[in-house]
Amino acid sequence: MLRRTLLLGLCRGPLGRGLGTHRGGSILGKVEGRGGYRGSWMAPSSSSVTFRTQDPAHDVKTVGRLGGGDRDGKMSEIKKKIQSILPGGDWNPLYDTSHLPPESSDVVIVGGGVLGLSVAYWLKKLEKPRGAIRVLVVERDHTYSRASTVLSVGGIRQQFSVPENVQLSLFSIDFLRNINEYLAVADDPPLDIQFNPSGYLLLASEKGAAIMENNVKVQRQEGAKVCLMSPEQLRNKFPWINTEGVALASYGMEHEGWFDPWCLLQGLRRKVQSMGVLFCRGEVTRFMSSSNLMKTASGEEVNLKRIHEVHVKIDQSLEYQPVECAIVINAAGAWSGQVAELAGIGKGPPGTLQGTKLPVELRKRYVYLWHCPQGPGLETPFVIDPSGTYFRREGLGHNYLGGCSPTEEEEPDPGNLEVDHDFFQDRVWPPLAQRVPAFETLKVRSAWAGYYDYNTFDQNGVVGPHPLVINMYFATGFSGHGLQQAPAVGRAVAEMVLEGHFQTINLSSFLFSRFYSGEKVQEHNII
Amino acid sequence: MLKIIIPTAMLMPMTWLSKPNMIWINSTTYSLLISLISLSYLNQLGDNSLNLSLLFFSDSLSAPLLVLTTWLLPLMLVASQSHLSKETLARKKLYITMLITLQLLLIMTFTATELIMFYILFEATLIPTLIIITRWGNQTERLNAGLYFLLYTLVGSLPLLVALLYIQNTTGTLNFLIIQYWTKPISTTWSNIFLWLACMMAFVVKMPLYGLHLWLPKAHVEAPIAGSMVLAAVLLKLGGYGMMRITILLNPTTNQMAYPFMMLSLWGMVMTSSICLRQTDLKSVIAYSSVSHMALVIVAVLIQTPWSYMGATALMIARGLTSSMLFCLANSNDERVHSRTMILARVLQAILPLMAAWWLLASLANLALPPTINLIGELFVVMASFSWSNMTIVLMGTNIIITALYTLYMLTTTQRGKYTHHIKNINPSFTRENTLMALHLLPLLLLSLNPKIALGPIY
Repeated sequence: MLRRTLLLGLCRGPLGRGLGTHRGGSILGKVEGRGGYRGSWMAPSSSSVTFRTQDPAHDVKTVGRLGGGDRDGKMSEIKKKIQSILPGGDWNPLYDTSHLPPESSDVVIVGGGVLGLSVAYWLKKLEKPRGAIRVLVVERDHTYSRASTVLSVGGIRQQFSVPENVQLSLFSIDFLRNINEYLAVADDPPLDIQFNPSGYLLLASEKGAAIMENNVKVQRQEGAKVCLMSPEQLRNKFPWINTEGVALASYGMEHEGWFDPWCLLQGLRRKVQSMGVLFCRGEVTRFMSSSNLMKTASGEEVNLKRIHEVHVKIDQSLEYQPVECAIVINAAGAWSGQVAELAGIGKGPPGTLQGTKLPVELRKRYVYLWHCPQGPGLETPFVIDPSGTYFRREGLGHNYLGGCSPTEEEEPDPGNLEVDHDFFQDRVWPPLAQRVPAFETLKVRSAWAGYYDYNTFDQNGVVGPHPLVINMYFATGFSGHGLQQAPAVGRAVAEMVLEGHFQTINLSSFLFSRFYSGEKVQEHNII
Repeated sequence: MLKIIIPTAMLMPMTWLSKPNMIWINSTTYSLLISLISLSYLNQLGDNSLNLSLLFFSDSLSAPLLVLTTWLLPLMLVASQSHLSKETLARKKLYITMLITLQLLLIMTFTATELIMFYILFEATLIPTLIIITRWGNQTERLNAGLYFLLYTLVGSLPLLVALLYIQNTTGTLNFLIIQYWTKPISTTWSNIFLWLACMMAFVVKMPLYGLHLWLPKAHVEAPIAGSMVLAAVLLKLGGYGMMRITILLNPTTNQMAYPFMMLSLWGMVMTSSICLRQTDLKSVIAYSSVSHMALVIVAVLIQTPWSYMGATALMIARGLTSSMLFCLANSNDERVHSRTMILARVLQAILPLMAAWWLLASLANLALPPTINLIGELFVVMASFSWSNMTIVLMGTNIIITALYTLYMLTTTQRGKYTHHIKNINPSFTRENTLMALHLLPLLLLSLNPKIALGPIY
């Protein structure tokens, strides 16, 4: 009891909301956790929700913090009921609506992966008066079992050909290196994202050497530290490489490597909840919008739509809640195309702006984990072969992660996340064994599959508002490098929402309108 | 008086029997006509009151409030048309009936002679307001808001019932016209102190006083537009009106007992103005500014000088129109952007220039710009409180400055600023909205030409 009151006191201290806020938040605070839904008053350490393992299901009714016992459970039930009826609680005499999202929210973020949470974080961080904007994150799977974020290999590199991509990654690595300054929550342990700064090694054959040199020049201009290596230098530095067919290699010396995406996700989630963002477990099924026929400056008529309500359907139930909103952010990852279709994007004659769909699709990619006792040592960077095969070291026990992107013809069916082991035998192992002779003897330990939110247009992200559905902002379509650019993209979208233009990194070439005008921002270094 | 009460009561069957496309037209037109009838009560005879019957009377304090109340009903109906357009016909009629019931009770409250009748109607006005807030409000918090509103006001006013019955027993009458001549100075005993508290508590909660104001931001923010309008414009003035009536019976205890409430009001004035500077929700800013201005009225009523009574009356009428207009403007914003947060709807001056003009005029009235009656009210109160104690000028001056600050902050955040993409297609101002703003502003500007109507019985 004393511990609970102490924790209550500690809870309220750093957050200190006034009594007269329009949110009508509970003065007494809710000590029990509910899967992270009512997050505005709780410091997560005091609740029964832990963020290191998977969240308990949101419909946990008993609290049981002090241990088991049915009488304890009943007592806390009664206490909970009394607390909710007293002024300050959210008592609804008709029926329990605690599992439903609020009836209105200023910003609704569809998708709770790393991009959605990053946008939520930066929205709450950059809003001028603190606590101005109410944000709701709608995520249909709180275990993140099919989300691209947690199934990702977790690499971060600056070796891109498009300068904006390099800038995005540079800011993101700065964010990750100082993650405990950005995402610190009072009373919670610091985050350890296990960043291995081993760098990326991109190998190029004769054909690609000139492009690689160009790319390295662009990267160096933006401030990335990349060095070019000839085959002899490669052999000196990495004796386990077979440099046959390699003309040039670029090696990132700083700020490149890999990290634990699950830790970043949970860190963001914890921080974002402490900033007052509401989470909802549900699926967006409908957008209600109103449209206005307006004339542009040149006299042509356009139909501008505004989404004013989002219907969020609760899992395994027919119940849905209409959420009145001012802004919708599409951060649904691989499913962003479907969400965009719900908003009516792409419904029109092809070739017009109304008929331009969001070209983001699900693409399945495999990742294999193998063990090779004679394999390369601890200095192994993230190696990308000219054939598109890649691998990196995993842990300290001679385990390696790797895979390969299939060509257009052999794209697997994205209906499920089943792994095709023959793909490893046929497409991944031979180039690997050729590049690193030690990999001729290896044993595959496990494998998994994940989705890329693949942008079929130019494999680069879509950021910013849609020209016709004026209050839908995109933060999706990064085709495999979304995780590493998430912090910077989140900040860019938040700036776009709050200020109306990009302030720090200019991503105007990543806007949706390029799909209509046909200007591709082709990224050459996509794996 | 019946010529107002019977038509108002008959508005209800008219609403229920109207054709579906005529409900708004009928109710708005007829309520406008009723408000024109009530204008005749402004013709007051000097110091005395207009005794209409044994039950109803009106004097120069209640006549302007009566006219304000009847003027507000058509405005509320015009403002509610948009957000009720998606409801079923029966619900729309029910909403209008609630508004009409509230109107009826308020008319009778402001003109009641018997203080018990005043009390009963005072309590009765809570019910339609509660129904409007909890049934037609926007968000889940409206239940909480309704609960706060109901319980604060009820608990505050129960002692008033006891006090009124006691006064009836000792003086033999509670008819206001008689009792104002029948009062004796009451001595400062403990029981008289409690009597004073019991009488004042109800009105002080309704005003609201700074320490008891928690219900107001919640109720104003969660209520639908008509609820906010009637709350801000009229229900708060009930408190002021009641206080001015009942302090006549309570001399000279008021001289000592008023100190804590004066302190709370003076301090609360500055505090709530400062809170306005940090608010992010547009309706919240207007709600807190209501508290701040009503604190001035409390100070004025407790000082009990002729100038302060004039200032209090003028301030009540002025605030009624100004805050109701500000709520209508905030609602027009909310309907377009579907959010009440100020920073999400900016640069409105570039997109809706006429609405920007109304915003400017309403903000200037809120700032107490001369020659509006807002200024007359504030100035009289400041001068009276300066003569009561020289030190109050510091707090009053600070309050005036902070009022100007937050009003201009509200104006520049919504009207100017950086352009964002999601306000590209907001609807242009409807004629209905422009009419609404004009009908709010017109009385305010006309009163600045002839303020003596609004200056109360002492003038």
